[in-house]
Amino acid sequence: MTDTNPTINARAITLRDEQLRARRVRIDRMFAALLGVQYLAGIAGALVVSPYAWEGKTQVIHTHVWIAIFGGAGITILPVLLAIFRPGATITRHVIAASQMLSSALLIHLTGGRIETHFHVFGSLAFLAFYLDWPVLITATVVVAADHFLRGIFWPESVYGIANPEWWRFLEHAGWVVFEDVFLVWSCILGQREIASSALKQAQVEYLSEQEQLKTAALEMALAEMQAAS
Amino acid sequence: MTTRRAVISSILIAAALLWTVTVGAMFRAIRAFEATPGRAADALDVWPSASHIPRAAGEWRLVMLIHPHCSCSRASITELQRIIEKSPSSLQTYVVVYRPKDFPAGWEKTDVFVAASHLPRTHILLDNDGHEASIFRGFTSGQTYLYDGDGKLRFSGGITLLRGHAGFNSGSAEVMEIARTQGGTAKHPVFGCAINK
Repeated sequence: MTDTNPTINARAITLRDEQLRARRVRIDRMFAALLGVQYLAGIAGALVVSPYAWEGKTQVIHTHVWIAIFGGAGITILPVLLAIFRPGATITRHVIAASQMLSSALLIHLTGGRIETHFHVFGSLAFLAFYLDWPVLITATVVVAADHFLRGIFWPESVYGIANPEWWRFLEHAGWVVFEDVFLVWSCILGQREIASSALKQAQVEYLSEQEQLKTAALEMALAEMQAAS
Repeated sequence: MTTRRAVISSILIAAALLWTVTVGAMFRAIRAFEATPGRAADALDVWPSASHIPRAAGEWRLVMLIHPHCSCSRASITELQRIIEKSPSSLQTYVVVYRPKDFPAGWEKTDVFVAASHLPRTHILLDNDGHEASIFRGFTSGQTYLYDGDGKLRFSGGITLLRGHAGFNSGSAEVMEIARTQGGTAKHPVFGCAINK
């Protein structure tokens, strides 16, 4: 959707980019908070579900607790720093998307592979769609598919529950993610179009208002000249 | 301003390196923890006569050793329930719960214990200082034995796929198959906390 006037088009693009950037900065901050909450929830979950491992009478801190503390921190630090120092940048939201999917993988492990925890992946994809930037969803999907593909090769029991899955099994799992992606990508494109349309309308109004102001100023000047001449 | 930018860039590069290293290290650590089996039992080929578990001739027995505070054993109990539900009703199950003698009363009453006590056709045996586990020559929580009517060992090992992972696995499938057909023998790695060192 464009206007025949290049000045209006240029202004519409500027307005659209400003609106998208402001939106993405807000969402970067939302994800920074979410990643922090997930990090603490992972530690709390590990402490509640499996605080200790035992060897007879001796108890030691469970490996899951250490993984939640150090693994969770390693995953969370980079996207949070990017959200603070590089909000709105393309790299920030792609790192956030990858980290969010890695957090899903970590939470799935910490809950012993509970099928219910897999819903975190689908919820995260929906949150990532708030960016209205569909390539971010592709980054998230590639991370999920790569996690399943690599673990399917080296450690199939952990992801499929059987030792000898078919080589293409990761495609079945990723397929469900792609199923959701189709609708989210579509909603991102529609959302971008709506913002572009609204920006174009605003640019047209601004242009018309500017033209009216110029006409008024010209009329006032002409009137003033006439009054001065008489 | 330039110095601040350089500091921020350095911090971000360090965080990126940490992020990359963490992803690899985390999955290695998880794999090492979950896929490393516990010590396998030196199970006796015939029913141990010193056992406190009653068994008359002709009766099959399914026995599982558990450490009540082993969080991984929740998965073993879940799988045990699946086996019991799909096995002949004549099969009696005994869950042997480790309990150090000098620990306070009720120490063993964990969610694992409660889950085990709700299993159908199952008896709970408190095992002071792992004496019964020693008789069965078991060392790891989740260790399961299936003895047939003649007192011969048919299955020894764990019934979970990995540490703390419930779900389909060859261990529990083999126990179900042996109990149903009354034929065959099998072994499987066991995943869980140590009972006896």
